[in-house]
Amino acid sequence: MYVYLYDNFLREKKHDSTIKAIETRLTDFGIAGKIIRLQNFTDAKAIIDDEIKKGIEQIVIVGNDETFGKVLSRAATCDILFGFLPIGSNSNNRIAEVLGIPVGVEACDVLSKRRKIKLDIGWFNNRYFVSRLHIPPAKIKVEYDEKFAVSAKDRMELVVCNLQPFNWSKKGKKDYVIHPQDGKLEAFLLPVVGKKFFKDQYEDPSIFPFKEMVVSAKKPFLVVADGKNSKETKIKIRLAKKRIEMVVGRERKF
Amino acid sequence: MFQKPNKPMSEINPTPNHTNNHNDNVDTVVGPSVKVEGDFASEGNIIVKGIVSGNVKTSQMLTVESGAKIFANVNAERALISGDIKGNVKISDSLELTETAQVQGDINCKVLTIAPGALVSGKVNMKGIDLKSEDEKTEKRRSFGKLKKTEEDLEK
Repeated sequence: MYVYLYDNFLREKKHDSTIKAIETRLTDFGIAGKIIRLQNFTDAKAIIDDEIKKGIEQIVIVGNDETFGKVLSRAATCDILFGFLPIGSNSNNRIAEVLGIPVGVEACDVLSKRRKIKLDIGWFNNRYFVSRLHIPPAKIKVEYDEKFAVSAKDRMELVVCNLQPFNWSKKGKKDYVIHPQDGKLEAFLLPVVGKKFFKDQYEDPSIFPFKEMVVSAKKPFLVVADGKNSKETKIKIRLAKKRIEMVVGRERKF
Repeated sequence: MFQKPNKPMSEINPTPNHTNNHNDNVDTVVGPSVKVEGDFASEGNIIVKGIVSGNVKTSQMLTVESGAKIFANVNAERALISGDIKGNVKISDSLELTETAQVQGDINCKVLTIAPGALVSGKVNMKGIDLKSEDEKTEKRRSFGKLKKTEEDLEK
Protein backbone atom coordinates (compact mmCIF):
# COMPACT_ATOMS: atom_id res chain seq x y z
CA MET A 1 0.00 0.00 0.00
CA TYR A 2 1.14 3.54 -0.82
CA VAL A 3 0.83 6.61 1.38
CA TYR A 4 0.99 10.07 -0.22
CA LEU A 5 2.15 13.03 1.89
CA TYR A 6 0.71 16.22 0.36
CA ASP A 7 2.33 19.54 1.24
CA ASN A 8 0.16 22.37 2.53
CA PHE A 9 0.78 24.59 -0.51
CA LEU A 10 -1.04 22.09 -2.74
CA ARG A 11 -4.34 23.45 -1.36
CA GLU A 12 -3.84 26.46 -3.67
CA LYS A 13 -6.31 26.46 -6.53
CA LYS A 14 -3.66 26.68 -9.25
CA HIS A 15 -2.48 23.14 -8.41
CA ASP A 16 -5.96 21.57 -8.52
CA SER A 17 -5.78 20.42 -12.14
CA THR A 18 -2.29 18.88 -11.71
CA ILE A 19 -3.35 17.07 -8.53
CA LYS A 20 -6.47 15.70 -10.24
CA ALA A 21 -4.45 14.52 -13.24
CA ILE A 22 -1.87 12.88 -10.97
CA GLU A 23 -4.53 11.09 -8.93
CA THR A 24 -6.18 9.77 -12.13
CA ARG A 25 -2.82 8.55 -13.45
CA LEU A 26 -1.99 6.84 -10.14
CA THR A 27 -5.35 5.06 -10.20
CA ASP A 28 -4.64 3.94 -13.79
CA PHE A 29 -1.33 2.46 -12.64
CA GLY A 30 -3.03 0.84 -9.66
CA ILE A 31 -0.79 2.60 -7.16
CA ALA A 32 -3.26 5.05 -5.64
CA GLY A 33 -3.28 5.10 -1.85
CA LYS A 34 -3.97 6.97 1.33
CA ILE A 35 -3.50 10.75 1.23
CA ILE A 36 -2.21 12.64 4.27
CA ARG A 37 -2.03 16.44 4.15
CA LEU A 38 0.96 17.91 5.98
CA GLN A 39 0.34 20.98 8.11
CA ASN A 40 3.00 23.51 9.05
CA PHE A 41 3.77 21.87 12.39
CA THR A 42 3.19 18.23 11.46
CA ASP A 43 6.00 15.85 12.38
CA ALA A 44 6.41 13.68 9.30
CA LYS A 45 8.40 11.06 11.21
CA ALA A 46 5.55 10.33 13.63
CA ILE A 47 3.11 9.94 10.73
CA ILE A 48 5.43 7.64 8.79
CA ASP A 49 6.22 5.50 11.86
CA ASP A 50 2.50 5.13 12.43
CA GLU A 51 1.89 4.08 8.83
CA ILE A 52 4.81 1.61 8.83
CA LYS A 53 3.14 -0.16 11.77
CA LYS A 54 0.04 -0.50 9.59
CA GLY A 55 2.14 -2.27 6.96
CA ILE A 56 2.58 0.23 4.13
CA GLU A 57 5.24 -0.42 1.49
CA GLN A 58 6.04 3.07 0.18
CA ILE A 59 5.84 6.73 1.22
CA VAL A 60 5.44 9.24 -1.59
CA ILE A 61 6.28 12.89 -0.95
CA VAL A 62 4.12 15.23 -3.03
CA GLY A 63 5.35 18.84 -3.23
CA ASN A 64 8.58 20.64 -4.02
CA ASP A 65 12.22 20.79 -2.81
CA GLU A 66 11.12 22.28 0.49
CA THR A 67 8.63 19.46 1.13
CA PHE A 68 11.26 16.89 0.23
CA GLY A 69 13.76 18.37 2.71
CA LYS A 70 11.15 18.93 5.43
CA VAL A 71 9.92 15.32 5.36
CA LEU A 72 13.25 13.53 4.94
CA SER A 73 15.18 15.58 7.51
CA ARG A 74 13.00 13.91 10.16
CA ALA A 75 12.00 10.67 8.45
CA ALA A 76 15.42 9.57 7.15
CA THR A 77 15.70 7.08 10.01
CA CYS A 78 12.52 5.29 8.87
CA ASP A 79 13.25 2.04 7.10
CA ILE A 80 10.92 2.36 4.11
CA LEU A 81 11.02 3.08 0.38
CA PHE A 82 10.42 6.73 -0.55
CA GLY A 83 9.02 8.21 -3.75
CA PHE A 84 8.68 11.81 -4.91
CA LEU A 85 6.06 13.56 -7.04
CA PRO A 86 7.33 17.10 -7.74
CA ILE A 87 4.69 19.78 -8.31
CA GLY A 88 5.06 23.48 -9.07
CA SER A 89 7.63 25.48 -11.01
CA ASN A 90 10.92 24.00 -12.21
CA SER A 91 12.88 26.52 -10.11
CA ASN A 92 11.36 25.05 -6.93
CA ASN A 93 12.08 21.51 -8.06
CA ARG A 94 15.81 21.25 -8.57
CA ILE A 95 16.16 18.06 -6.52
CA ALA A 96 13.65 16.33 -8.80
CA GLU A 97 15.85 17.24 -11.78
CA VAL A 98 18.88 15.63 -10.11
CA LEU A 99 16.83 12.52 -9.28
CA GLY A 100 15.57 12.34 -12.87
CA ILE A 101 11.91 12.83 -11.93
CA PRO A 102 9.90 15.11 -14.25
CA VAL A 103 7.68 17.77 -12.68
CA GLY A 104 3.91 17.09 -12.79
CA VAL A 105 1.92 14.13 -14.09
CA GLU A 106 4.90 12.46 -15.85
CA ALA A 107 6.41 11.78 -12.42
CA CYS A 108 3.77 9.03 -11.93
CA ASP A 109 5.45 7.00 -14.71
CA VAL A 110 8.77 7.12 -12.81
CA LEU A 111 7.02 6.15 -9.59
CA SER A 112 5.33 3.15 -11.19
CA LYS A 113 8.64 1.82 -12.56
CA ARG A 114 10.11 1.53 -9.03
CA ARG A 115 13.75 2.06 -10.00
CA LYS A 116 15.24 1.96 -6.49
CA ILE A 117 18.52 3.53 -5.35
CA LYS A 118 20.04 4.15 -1.93
CA LEU A 119 21.13 7.74 -1.38
CA ASP A 120 23.79 9.31 0.86
CA ILE A 121 22.59 12.17 3.02
CA GLY A 122 24.15 14.63 5.44
CA TRP A 123 23.93 14.55 9.25
CA PHE A 124 24.55 17.40 11.65
CA ASN A 125 23.96 17.75 15.41
CA ASN A 126 21.48 14.84 15.68
CA ARG A 127 19.42 15.56 12.57
CA TYR A 128 19.61 14.85 8.87
CA PHE A 129 19.71 17.17 5.88
CA VAL A 130 18.96 16.02 2.39
CA SER A 131 19.44 18.88 0.00
CA ARG A 132 21.80 21.50 1.51
CA LEU A 133 23.16 23.13 4.63
CA HIS A 134 23.96 26.83 4.56
CA ILE A 135 25.84 29.08 6.98
CA PRO A 136 25.50 32.78 6.04
CA PRO A 137 28.70 34.92 6.31
CA ALA A 138 30.23 34.52 9.78
CA LYS A 139 33.68 34.40 11.35
CA ILE A 140 34.00 30.61 11.34
CA LYS A 141 36.78 28.05 11.39
CA VAL A 142 36.37 24.80 9.52
CA GLU A 143 38.19 21.56 10.28
CA TYR A 144 38.01 18.70 7.79
CA ASP A 145 38.25 14.99 8.63
CA GLU A 146 40.43 15.90 11.68
CA LYS A 147 43.31 16.46 9.27
CA PHE A 148 43.37 20.08 8.16
CA ALA A 149 41.76 23.38 9.10
CA VAL A 150 40.59 26.13 6.77
CA SER A 151 40.31 29.78 7.74
CA ALA A 152 40.04 33.17 6.05
CA LYS A 153 40.97 36.72 7.07
CA ASP A 154 37.37 37.92 7.21
CA ARG A 155 33.94 36.25 7.38
CA MET A 156 33.09 33.17 5.33
CA GLU A 157 29.89 31.72 3.93
CA LEU A 158 29.60 27.94 3.88
CA VAL A 159 27.36 25.79 1.70
CA VAL A 160 27.35 22.01 2.08
CA CYS A 161 25.64 20.35 -0.85
CA ASN A 162 24.24 16.91 -1.22
CA LEU A 163 21.29 16.71 -3.61
CA GLN A 164 20.74 20.36 -4.45
CA PRO A 165 23.25 21.63 -7.01
CA PHE A 166 25.50 24.49 -5.98
CA ASN A 167 24.76 27.57 -8.03
CA TRP A 168 27.55 30.08 -8.42
CA SER A 169 25.85 32.25 -11.01
CA LYS A 170 27.07 35.67 -9.85
CA LYS A 171 30.03 35.57 -12.17
CA GLY A 172 28.53 33.24 -14.72
CA LYS A 173 30.43 30.30 -13.31
CA LYS A 174 29.30 26.72 -13.84
CA ASP A 175 26.73 24.86 -11.75
CA TYR A 176 28.20 22.00 -9.81
CA VAL A 177 25.99 18.94 -9.95
CA ILE A 178 26.72 16.87 -6.90
CA HIS A 179 26.78 13.09 -7.07
CA PRO A 180 24.64 11.94 -4.13
CA GLN A 181 26.31 8.54 -4.03
CA ASP A 182 29.99 9.39 -4.27
CA GLY A 183 30.65 8.62 -0.60
CA LYS A 184 31.33 12.23 0.37
CA LEU A 185 29.71 15.63 0.82
CA GLU A 186 30.94 18.77 -0.91
CA ALA A 187 31.61 21.99 1.02
CA PHE A 188 31.76 25.33 -0.79
CA LEU A 189 33.47 28.12 1.15
CA LEU A 190 32.92 31.68 0.04
CA PRO A 191 35.15 34.21 1.83
CA VAL A 192 33.85 37.79 1.97
CA VAL A 193 36.48 40.07 0.43
CA GLY A 194 34.78 43.46 0.85
CA LYS A 195 31.61 45.48 0.36
CA LYS A 196 30.21 47.20 -2.69
CA PHE A 197 26.97 49.25 -2.61
CA PHE A 198 26.26 47.84 0.90
CA LYS A 199 26.48 44.29 -0.45
CA ASP A 200 29.06 41.68 0.50
CA GLN A 201 31.51 40.84 -2.24
CA TYR A 202 32.58 37.22 -2.44
CA GLU A 203 35.66 35.52 -3.73
CA ASP A 204 35.48 32.47 -6.00
CA PRO A 205 34.44 29.43 -3.95
CA SER A 206 36.91 27.05 -2.35
CA ILE A 207 35.69 23.48 -2.70
CA PHE A 208 36.48 20.60 -0.37
CA PRO A 209 34.92 17.13 -0.63
CA PHE A 210 34.75 15.59 2.88
CA LYS A 211 33.30 12.86 5.09
CA GLU A 212 33.34 14.71 8.40
CA MET A 213 33.68 18.39 9.15
CA VAL A 214 33.59 20.54 12.28
CA VAL A 215 32.53 24.19 12.01
CA SER A 216 33.21 26.34 15.06
CA ALA A 217 33.13 30.00 16.02
CA LYS A 218 33.48 32.18 19.13
CA LYS A 219 30.07 33.78 18.55
CA PRO A 220 26.90 31.81 17.64
CA PHE A 221 26.30 31.56 13.92
CA LEU A 222 23.14 30.83 11.90
CA VAL A 223 22.73 27.38 10.33
CA VAL A 224 20.06 26.79 7.67
CA ALA A 225 19.58 23.07 6.97
CA ASP A 226 16.86 22.17 4.45
CA GLY A 227 15.21 25.55 5.14
CA LYS A 228 15.22 25.20 8.96
CA ASN A 229 17.13 27.80 10.98
CA SER A 230 19.12 27.29 14.17
CA LYS A 231 21.93 29.11 16.01
CA GLU A 232 25.03 27.14 16.93
CA THR A 233 28.61 27.69 18.11
CA LYS A 234 29.94 24.32 17.01
CA ILE A 235 28.52 21.81 14.56
CA LYS A 236 29.75 18.48 13.31
CA ILE A 237 28.65 17.59 9.78
CA ARG A 238 28.93 13.99 8.72
CA LEU A 239 27.93 11.78 5.82
CA ALA A 240 25.23 9.18 6.41
CA LYS A 241 25.99 6.60 3.75
CA LYS A 242 23.13 5.02 1.79
CA ARG A 243 20.57 6.12 4.38
CA ILE A 244 17.49 6.65 2.18
CA GLU A 245 16.03 4.21 -0.34
CA MET A 246 14.39 6.18 -3.10
CA VAL A 247 12.61 5.64 -6.41
CA VAL A 248 14.50 7.57 -9.10
CA GLY A 249 14.19 8.18 -12.84
CA ARG A 250 16.34 6.99 -15.72
CA GLU A 251 17.37 10.55 -16.48
CA ARG A 252 18.99 11.05 -13.06
CA LYS A 253 22.24 12.95 -12.96
CA PHE A 254 24.38 10.41 -11.13
CA MET B 1 -3.40 30.40 -31.79
CA PHE B 2 -1.13 32.53 -29.64
CA GLN B 3 -0.26 29.75 -27.26
CA LYS B 4 3.25 28.42 -27.04
CA PRO B 5 3.66 25.08 -28.79
CA ASN B 6 3.48 22.13 -26.43
CA LYS B 7 7.03 20.87 -26.46
CA PRO B 8 8.06 17.73 -24.63
CA MET B 9 9.74 18.28 -21.25
CA SER B 10 13.12 17.13 -22.54
CA GLU B 11 13.12 19.87 -25.20
CA ILE B 12 12.08 22.73 -22.90
CA ASN B 13 14.54 21.87 -20.19
CA PRO B 14 17.02 19.37 -21.55
CA THR B 15 18.21 17.11 -18.78
CA PRO B 16 21.17 15.20 -20.07
CA ASN B 17 21.42 11.51 -19.35
CA HIS B 18 23.38 10.43 -16.30
CA THR B 19 25.97 8.78 -18.47
CA ASN B 20 27.11 11.98 -20.19
CA ASN B 21 26.69 14.42 -17.29
CA HIS B 22 28.75 12.49 -14.82
CA ASN B 23 30.40 15.08 -12.58
CA ASP B 24 31.28 13.11 -9.48
CA ASN B 25 34.92 14.15 -9.54
CA VAL B 26 34.58 17.64 -8.12
CA ASP B 27 38.03 19.24 -7.93
CA THR B 28 39.33 20.41 -4.57
CA VAL B 29 39.93 24.17 -4.80
CA VAL B 30 41.78 26.30 -2.25
CA GLY B 31 40.70 29.88 -2.94
CA PRO B 32 43.07 32.92 -3.02
CA SER B 33 42.22 34.31 0.44
CA VAL B 34 41.86 30.93 2.13
CA LYS B 35 44.52 29.46 4.41
CA VAL B 36 44.79 25.71 4.91
CA GLU B 37 46.73 24.35 7.90
CA GLY B 38 47.50 20.65 8.23
CA ASP B 39 48.06 17.70 5.95
CA PHE B 40 45.87 18.04 2.94
CA ALA B 41 45.03 14.94 0.91
CA SER B 42 42.57 14.29 -1.90
CA GLU B 43 41.77 11.55 -4.38
CA GLY B 44 40.81 14.01 -7.11
CA ASN B 45 42.47 17.00 -8.73
CA ILE B 46 43.65 19.81 -6.43
CA ILE B 47 43.84 23.48 -7.44
CA VAL B 48 45.73 25.73 -5.00
CA LYS B 49 45.19 29.49 -5.30
CA GLY B 50 45.83 30.41 -1.63
CA ILE B 51 48.19 29.32 1.15
CA VAL B 52 48.70 25.74 2.32
CA SER B 53 50.87 25.08 5.39
CA GLY B 54 51.13 21.31 5.40
CA ASN B 55 51.77 18.37 3.13
CA VAL B 56 49.71 18.17 -0.05
CA LYS B 57 48.97 14.72 -1.47
CA THR B 58 46.81 13.66 -4.41
CA SER B 59 46.65 10.64 -6.70
CA GLN B 60 45.82 12.92 -9.61
CA MET B 61 46.67 16.41 -10.93
CA LEU B 62 47.94 19.25 -8.71
CA THR B 63 47.75 22.83 -9.99
CA VAL B 64 49.48 25.58 -8.01
CA GLU B 65 48.42 28.93 -9.45
CA SER B 66 50.51 32.09 -9.57
CA GLY B 67 50.53 33.79 -6.14
CA ALA B 68 49.73 30.54 -4.30
CA LYS B 69 52.12 29.23 -1.63
CA ILE B 70 52.74 25.74 -0.26
CA PHE B 71 54.97 25.37 2.80
CA ALA B 72 55.55 21.58 2.93
CA ASN B 73 56.12 18.52 0.80
CA VAL B 74 54.04 17.85 -2.28
CA ASN B 75 53.10 14.43 -3.63
CA ALA B 76 51.04 14.01 -6.82
CA GLU B 77 50.74 12.11 -10.09
CA ARG B 78 51.01 15.20 -12.32
CA ALA B 79 51.62 18.84 -11.43
CA LEU B 80 51.52 22.27 -13.01
CA ILE B 81 53.31 24.79 -10.79
CA SER B 82 53.02 28.55 -11.24
CA GLY B 83 53.29 29.53 -7.56
CA ASP B 84 55.78 29.03 -4.73
CA ILE B 85 56.63 25.74 -3.03
CA LYS B 86 58.95 25.47 -0.02
CA GLY B 87 59.40 21.73 0.35
CA ASN B 88 60.17 18.60 -1.62
CA VAL B 89 58.15 17.88 -4.74
CA LYS B 90 57.54 14.22 -5.59
CA ILE B 91 55.63 13.63 -8.83
CA SER B 92 55.13 10.13 -10.22
CA ASP B 93 54.53 11.30 -13.79
CA SER B 94 55.02 14.77 -15.35
CA LEU B 95 55.87 18.08 -13.69
CA GLU B 96 55.62 21.46 -15.41
CA LEU B 97 57.09 24.63 -13.93
CA THR B 98 55.88 27.85 -15.56
CA GLU B 99 57.83 31.15 -15.65
CA THR B 100 56.39 32.36 -12.31
CA ALA B 101 57.15 29.12 -10.43
CA GLN B 102 59.57 29.04 -7.48
CA VAL B 103 60.56 25.75 -5.89
CA GLN B 104 62.85 25.54 -2.86
CA GLY B 105 63.37 21.84 -2.33
CA ASP B 106 64.23 18.61 -4.10
CA ILE B 107 62.29 17.57 -7.19
CA ASN B 108 61.56 13.95 -8.01
CA CYS B 109 59.66 13.21 -11.22
CA LYS B 110 59.53 11.26 -14.48
CA VAL B 111 59.08 14.06 -17.04
CA LEU B 112 60.09 17.66 -16.25
CA THR B 113 59.26 20.83 -18.18
CA ILE B 114 60.77 24.11 -16.98
CA ALA B 115 59.80 27.42 -18.58
CA PRO B 116 62.42 30.20 -18.76
CA GLY B 117 62.16 32.32 -15.62
CA ALA B 118 61.18 29.49 -13.27
CA LEU B 119 63.39 29.28 -10.15
CA VAL B 120 64.53 26.00 -8.62
CA SER B 121 66.81 25.55 -5.61
CA GLY B 122 67.40 21.89 -4.82
CA LYS B 123 68.28 18.52 -6.28
CA VAL B 124 66.46 17.19 -9.33
CA ASN B 125 66.05 13.41 -9.58
CA MET B 126 64.42 11.79 -12.58
CA LYS B 127 63.53 8.13 -12.99
CA GLY B 128 64.98 6.00 -15.81
CA ILE B 129 68.40 7.72 -16.06
CA ASP B 130 71.00 5.58 -17.87
CA LEU B 131 74.28 7.45 -18.33
CA LYS B 132 76.88 4.70 -17.70
CA SER B 133 79.90 4.49 -20.05
CA GLU B 134 79.97 1.99 -22.96
CA ASP B 135 82.75 -0.07 -21.25
CA GLU B 136 80.62 -0.49 -18.12
CA LYS B 137 77.66 -1.55 -20.22
CA THR B 138 79.66 -4.18 -22.20
CA GLU B 139 81.17 -5.46 -18.93
CA LYS B 140 77.70 -5.84 -17.52
CA ARG B 141 76.54 -7.69 -20.65
CA ARG B 142 79.57 -10.02 -20.46
CA SER B 143 79.00 -10.86 -16.82
CA PHE B 144 75.32 -11.50 -17.58
CA GLY B 145 76.38 -13.84 -20.43
CA LYS B 146 78.74 -15.69 -18.08
CA LEU B 147 75.99 -16.08 -15.51
CA LYS B 148 73.66 -17.51 -18.14
CA LYS B 149 76.34 -19.99 -19.27
CA THR B 150 76.97 -21.27 -15.75
CA GLU B 151 73.23 -21.74 -15.30
CA GLU B 152 73.09 -23.79 -18.52
CA ASP B 153 76.09 -25.88 -17.35
CA LEU B 154 74.36 -26.52 -14.05
CA GLU B 155 71.22 -27.65 -15.85
CA LYS B 156 73.34 -30.12 -17.90
